[in-house]
Amino acid sequence: MSEDMQRIITKEELNAKIKELLKENEIIIPKQLLNKGIFYQKILDTDNLVLAEGFATEPIKKFFLEPSSWIIKEGKDLEQAQTKRIIIGARPCEGRGLELLDKIFDAEYKDNFYINNRQRTLIIGLACDGPDRCCFCASMGGSPVEARGMDALLYTPLENFMEHKGNSLTGYTFADKYIVEVITDKAKDIFAPLGKELDAETKKNWQKDKEKRINALQKKISPPESMDDIFQSDYWKEVSQSCLSCGVCTYLCPTCHCFDLVDEARKRLRCYDGCAFADFTLETSGANPRPTKKERYRQRVYHKFDYFKKNFGENLCVGCGRCIRHCPVKIDIAEIVANAPIRL
Amino acid sequence: MVNKELVEEIKKKAKELLEAKQVDLIIGCQRASDGVLAVPVFIYKKEDVEKLVWDAYCVYNLANFLHDFPGQKVGIIAKACDIKSIIVLLQENQLKRENVFIIGVECLGVVEEKKTDKYRVKAEDIVYHEKCRACKPSIPVFYDLLISRGLKKEQPAAEEDIYAEVRKFEAKSLEERFKFWEAEFKRCIRCYACRQVCPMCYCPRCVADQSMPSWFSKAADFSGNLSWNLTRAMHLAGRCIDCGECERACPAGIPLRELNRKLQKEIKEMFNYEAGLSTDKKPLLAGFDKNDPEEFIK
Repeated sequence: MSEDMQRIITKEELNAKIKELLKENEIIIPKQLLNKGIFYQKILDTDNLVLAEGFATEPIKKFFLEPSSWIIKEGKDLEQAQTKRIIIGARPCEGRGLELLDKIFDAEYKDNFYINNRQRTLIIGLACDGPDRCCFCASMGGSPVEARGMDALLYTPLENFMEHKGNSLTGYTFADKYIVEVITDKAKDIFAPLGKELDAETKKNWQKDKEKRINALQKKISPPESMDDIFQSDYWKEVSQSCLSCGVCTYLCPTCHCFDLVDEARKRLRCYDGCAFADFTLETSGANPRPTKKERYRQRVYHKFDYFKKNFGENLCVGCGRCIRHCPVKIDIAEIVANAPIRL
Repeated sequence: MVNKELVEEIKKKAKELLEAKQVDLIIGCQRASDGVLAVPVFIYKKEDVEKLVWDAYCVYNLANFLHDFPGQKVGIIAKACDIKSIIVLLQENQLKRENVFIIGVECLGVVEEKKTDKYRVKAEDIVYHEKCRACKPSIPVFYDLLISRGLKKEQPAAEEDIYAEVRKFEAKSLEERFKFWEAEFKRCIRCYACRQVCPMCYCPRCVADQSMPSWFSKAADFSGNLSWNLTRAMHLAGRCIDCGECERACPAGIPLRELNRKLQKEIKEMFNYEAGLSTDKKPLLAGFDKNDPEEFIK
């Protein structure tokens, strides 16, 4: 990547570009289904295209580490998918989630499926304009306006910037133009011919606006440096009492990546699995090293805020708030980590 | 919405029960840290009863937590839905009557979380859950102790056909119905929140978790999802009391209540049976009556 590139583009220009790209790419954007949530969907045309729809229930993780994928069929490795894809409208927390997943699947160990999915997908993100009460990305080293893990990032117009909306899940922002921050060369090919450069004034306002958006985050935590001393604490029993042992938090997490291998009729399937499930660590003998919710919930917290940090230098959490927002009993991991009795 | 008298009464009774050691713990709801929503709470010490709250945000079916305390005496602050579930659990021998102390509380309906912007509503703008429409205000009929203002009597069910929506859907063509559920089930991520949140899903090893043999695919694709969702619904036939927790818990927004209600309607019409009304009745599928319809035997 040479130098930074920022452009101001109109909605019409963007739509026309998407239309053109549709010829050779699969294009995926988040779409709102009334009273059901926001889900990524393939689009077939650019009519009624709305790009800003709050954030999706399922993060873009599912396009890279798929919820379930056949990896062996009839005794042979499955061929890697070749279709080129463009995901438009992913949020910064989702991009950062991929950065963390890269440390696992594209580092010492190379996961061909993940890497192939990464290579064939271009991500054009959308900066957040209003966090909800579960968002805490800035506390986890992220930001609602950064492009990490993505190829480009769109900003809705500054004049449309709204004060904290309370809950952006139900909010729509219709933008007629965007600022686009271009990160990779792949994205440069798309955006270089479009729009115009930013003038000094806009640049200045843009920086101010970014700060405003970061400051709009209400939820702030500082995770403890180490939780070594409280592994045996009753705290974990207390905070996990209402846990239902379902897979919502792990499946919707942009960074949770545990999977299970299942053989079904001469095929081998790799599908999501999660540490909250009671049978996650169940052994053939019937023994289960994590027999109760206490051990299972503690595992999730420690993997994110202790083990991963020790191995990779940062927390395995991007502060997207999905596990809080969608937990059927509203367990709040941010609160649990922030309140951990580290000075026991 | 918030009724201070009710809440104070709940706290007082809870404290008495704990003091008298009539129960080991009490399951209820407390305010979430955001100051708006409610979350389940487990009270062991009498000092902690002050945490208890009671309002439309207490959406949970707390009967689900009764499985977590085998052998202990558990007090539960329960609305009509929770109590119906407890009745089914008693019918199915999953609970010992002497081990559960039911503090029945008048319920004015709970919020429909998926249709309410939880943080922005004013009390008068609350979208009550559809299930509460025919029910609220609801005064439980089965309990050890009743906390109610007793101002309003339970209203007789409205004349309207409560299965009107189900019938409307039934009238559609097979293709239309299949297309509808195909689109819904495709979003299922197999997180099993619907199962985990359901008080009736207590199998020690769920059919969905078995791998030797595997009864249906673990893949979160249409075939596996269809099998899972239909198996879940069928297994609840005659047992589901329509608390709607499965639908509330579903992160994919699948309208699971519609499946449950279809089965509920079939059972009502075929056997004149409703789940969760009386502990004296045998569970529907454990009973036999010579008047049961048998058109299917040819």
